[in-house]
Order: sequence, then C-alpha cells, then structure tokens
Amino acid sequence: MTNLSSTTGRDANAAGSGGLRNNAVFKDLFVNPWTYVTGAVILALLNIALIASTGKGWGVTTAFAYWAGWIWNGVGGDAHNWAYFTEVAKAFNGENFNFLNDPASIMNLGIIAGAFLSVLLASQARFKGLKSGKQAVAAILGGLLMGFGARLAFGCNIGALFTALPSLSGQGWVFIVFIFLGAAVGSRLLVKYFI
Amino acid sequence: MTATTGNTSGISRIKRTRTVAKPTPSQLPYALLLLAAIIAFGFYLGSPKLALSWAISIALGLTLQRSRFCFTAAMRDPVLTGSTSLTKAVVVGLAVGTVGFSALQLGAYLKSGDMADAMKLVHLAPVGIHTAIGAFLFGIGAVIAGGCASGTLMRVGEGYAQNMIALVAFVAGSGLAAASWPIWRDLLGVNLADTVYLPTMLGGFLPALVVQFGLLFAIWLAADWWNKRKTSQS
Repeated sequence: MTNLSSTTGRDANAAGSGGLRNNAVFKDLFVNPWTYVTGAVILALLNIALIASTGKGWGVTTAFAYWAGWIWNGVGGDAHNWAYFTEVAKAFNGENFNFLNDPASIMNLGIIAGAFLSVLLASQARFKGLKSGKQAVAAILGGLLMGFGARLAFGCNIGALFTALPSLSGQGWVFIVFIFLGAAVGSRLLVKYFI
Repeated sequence: MTATTGNTSGISRIKRTRTVAKPTPSQLPYALLLLAAIIAFGFYLGSPKLALSWAISIALGLTLQRSRFCFTAAMRDPVLTGSTSLTKAVVVGLAVGTVGFSALQLGAYLKSGDMADAMKLVHLAPVGIHTAIGAFLFGIGAVIAGGCASGTLMRVGEGYAQNMIALVAFVAGSGLAAASWPIWRDLLGVNLADTVYLPTMLGGFLPALVVQFGLLFAIWLAADWWNKRKTSQS
C-alpha cells in the first residue's frame, strides 16, 4: 500500500472510487484536515481522560529510555544497574517489566498505528523517502539532541509540557520557555545548514 | 512540516505543506484490516488499563495526523514565518487541559482535605537548571529533526523516512543520557526533591489558576499580535 502515485495535490479522492470514500461526512472526518484548534482540544481531552482513568498523564520519552535499556540488555549489556534506572525511572527494574506491560511503550506504538490508520482512511498512505543526505544527518543529530534533552529535563514536549503545564507543575512553565528559545536557535541552524 | 522540494530559498522551502497523493486507489480495505489488528491487539494486551491506554493512544495518533498538529512548528513558525495559528492552538489545548487537570486535583483535595491527594494527579518532576538546558537542547533537536516526540511518532506512522531515522537516534540519545546519568546529575545538580507545584507555591488553587490562565491568555494575546504584525509587514 506504499509507494503509490507521488504526484501532489489537494484532493485525494479519485474519481469513480465511489461509496464511502466520496461520502461528504466521511470526507470531512477522515480525508480533509481538521483545524489546529480542533486537534488541540481533542488532544487535551484525551489527556484528561487518560489521567482520570489511569492516574497518569500522557508521556512519551521515558519509554524511549526503557527501549534503549532493553536493546542494550538484548545485545548482551546490563542496563539494570544504570544509575538512571536505579535512582530515577525505577520501574525499569520492576518485576516482569517489559514492552507489553508498560503503558507508555504501548501508547508510543499506538500513536504510530493511529497516524497510520489515519492516512489509510484518507487513502494517502505512502512511504516518503529521504530527499537528501542532509536530511539523514539532521534526523540523527536532532534525534540525539531530543533524547538527551528530554532526559535532562525529565520529559519532552508531551510529558514536560502538554501534561506538566496543565497539571500546574512548575516544570511545564520552565520547559515551555526554554523549548521556545531552543526552537528559535534550531530554526537558524536549520536554515543555515540543513536546507 | 518536513522540508519540501522545490525552490531553493530557505524559509519558503520549509513551509508546512501537505503532500497528498492525487488520484490514488482506495486504501480503505487496508484501513479496515489495520483497525481489526488494532482491536485484536487491544484484547491481546489482557488488562483493561493497558487496553484503555492503547485505545487512547490510537485516538491521539489519529488526532495528531488529522489536525496536522505539530508542537515543533508551534514553537518554530513564529520565528521562521511569523505564523502563530498553531501556537495559539497549543495555548488553547493547554488551557483546556488546565480545566480538566485542576478540576481532578481540586476534587481529590476536597474529598480528603489533603493536598497530597491532589498532588498524585500532577506530573511532578524536579525543576532546575537541568530543565532549562534539557528543554533548550530538545527545542533545537525537534526543529532540526523535523518533529518533536509526538510529531516524530506521528510521522513514522505517516511513512516519513526522516522521522524513522530520527526515532532511532531519539532512542539512542535517551539511552546515552540514561547510561551516563551520574555525570549530568552531578554536573547540573539534579535533586529529585526539587519539584514545584503551583498551588503549594502560590498559596492555593485560586491564585495558582489566576496566574496559570493569566499567563496562558497573555501568551495567546502576544501570539495574536505577533501574527498580525508579521502579516501586515509583508
């Protein structure tokens, strides 16, 4: 289902594909984009539903540290005695703790699956390859910076901002100021070196 | 929001464009197959809590993709293009979140009269110079990699190779930081007890909420003003 036509355009509806795909309500819901504010409100409500039902708000990146630890263990290392897991994210050393019983890990997978479902519903799924070697360098550098930054700050734009700030945690306000300053510097670097 | 091909001038190349395949065959059958797999996985997870988390995350991914939501662009576009429509949307999301989160906390507090019960519903984490440095590095990284934490996951689902590479590096960076934790803990003086909860700091829920909504409203007004200023200039 990937690598279909690569021409671009606004309307993804092929003439004559008929049925559900051309239904006006279906198009409004699953083909045409929603407004940013619609998205923001639904994301906030889902986060409230999550903390109300499970007792814990949305977070993404602590699970990434777990993934790295599991991979390290998988290749013969021993992440169990990393100070980060003995002092901070102690859940890692909990009994029978693995990908399939860590809600955050499952949710990260679910976000990928949900986005994939969304593009399939719009019949817009295709693989988008790299456009240049620079993109790969930018992805690696940016990914490493995000990984490091999120551990130092105890969270990412989700946990330390989208969950922390509404929960009246001071961490969120410090995070939003400095992610903004970082993004401003990053924009300059992006324009100068990566495009 | 990833860089698009076309002209060579820097800023116009990173406009948020949405590449959409024109007359494409219907992918609805695949969508139904995936939906069935998603439901099956929910049952396979076994516990109601995990299945609920799974269901909410599917909705989060769908919402992020449908609304082209991007925290990185919300932070970047004001600087790069002057557009603040996403920035304002993020502020709206934070305000809606505040209503729900604070109501849950207040409810827990009223029930027991103990602030500790309210604080169980707070994303509490230590605050210090490490928060500022970490968030700063994170902001640089998110813009360069073309997606923050949620944006990277969403674009992996959308099929972007760049974000797949970024995800691998993201996990690697998290692991490197976790493995070298004692260095940063000592260098930046991280103290796990240094948490800040606005109602305790400001003397109650009312002042905390006044400050919280006041600041959010101020950011929204500033973003609105910035957008108008930038568009009237060009």
